[in-house]
Amino acid sequence: MKYVDEYRDADLGRALSGEILSLVEPGRHYKVMEVCGGHTHSIYKYGVDDLLPANVELVHGPGCPVCVIPMGRVDDGIALAHEEGVIFTCFGDMMRVPGSNGSLLEARAAGADIRMVYSPLDALRIAKENPDREVVFFAIGFETTAPSTALTLKRARAEGVTNFSCMCSHVTIVPPLRALLESPDLRLDGFIGPGHVSTVVGARPFEFIPADYGKPVAVAGFEPLDILQAIVMILRQLAEGRCEVENQYKRVVPYEGNTRALEVMAEVFELRPHFEWRGLGFISHSGLKLSEAYGDLDAERRFSVPGVRVADPKACQCGEVLKGVIKPWECKVFGTACTPERPIGTCMVSSEGACAAYYNYGRFAREREVV
Amino acid sequence: MTVVKLDEHRGLALCADAEGARHTVEIALVEPLRAGAVILVHAGTAIAALAAEEAEVRA
Repeated sequence: MKYVDEYRDADLGRALSGEILSLVEPGRHYKVMEVCGGHTHSIYKYGVDDLLPANVELVHGPGCPVCVIPMGRVDDGIALAHEEGVIFTCFGDMMRVPGSNGSLLEARAAGADIRMVYSPLDALRIAKENPDREVVFFAIGFETTAPSTALTLKRARAEGVTNFSCMCSHVTIVPPLRALLESPDLRLDGFIGPGHVSTVVGARPFEFIPADYGKPVAVAGFEPLDILQAIVMILRQLAEGRCEVENQYKRVVPYEGNTRALEVMAEVFELRPHFEWRGLGFISHSGLKLSEAYGDLDAERRFSVPGVRVADPKACQCGEVLKGVIKPWECKVFGTACTPERPIGTCMVSSEGACAAYYNYGRFAREREVV
Repeated sequence: MTVVKLDEHRGLALCADAEGARHTVEIALVEPLRAGAVILVHAGTAIAALAAEEAEVRA
């Protein structure tokens, strides 16, 4: 296949949908988790779930980088942004995430110098343009984004930029998956592996899922046919009694990942003993901080950060949505008090969040009719 | 994105996205590249280059 529209071909989609139907046993309910928020977005954008039989259920996983940032971390960012002389930079999605006392966007309205950037390189450029100011970059994301932050910090070091630092909130994908697999309230039959994280880490880190937990994994791309084909792969493994990691996204995912990216990450970052995830609590070795060698570029060392743990709002059920225990529309505040315009929970903020995907692509209306 | 022009000295490339908008991209993780290569870019950094036969058709 050469062009993107071929990955959205309706006839091929129908053929895959028929194949899925032929692979499922009637009377058995299949729960397949798509780990990555990018998949969740594609599934609702293209209506992939409408092509599945009623007994194949897609469960949304914790792979939305914005959604998993806890409230306390947003508060830390806002505290840093209010420091004298600081220019605080972050990705656009992060600006709207509610902290315990408003979002970064509201902090900007209150006078803090907070700027949206598309990449950490933009933040470094701002630092070079403002040598008399301290520029802090709020780094979030999984292994897809972490290499970008790592390279920018190396570049800052190489170019001798001293007024640049990083508040590192990068997370890794394997520990939360293990936590989910250990969780008693969720029974899953297989996983659609995260495509773009896997371009960096490869397919190898997911081997523990079939090896230790006996569940099939198919690493998948983000077009509708990619996702349907991954579901076929998982169902075929289940039907044939196999259990392994398959790679549907071979056009960009090598089994070993991007070894240069992994080397750069190992040089710049080290694992935190534990990191708090929104709704999932503390997970061991799941977050990254700057290594000793790059400690002088760590904003949390350069400035004092409150580091207070804040409980999620009572009405918000993002934690259960992130674990796949409830569907977005089953949350008490979905589409009423919590909307993309005025989000209460993180899952409604980012386009990769399951709630925003449901809301924006009209699932809200359909699900409510069923109720 | 498609690579338009390389600045190998600085490890950067000027790239065009599907709409034709230009972006500066960090290419240290996927070098060596040539103009016309198709790369997967995340947060301003190329994390993968598409297999040569796929890229060739779109170049």
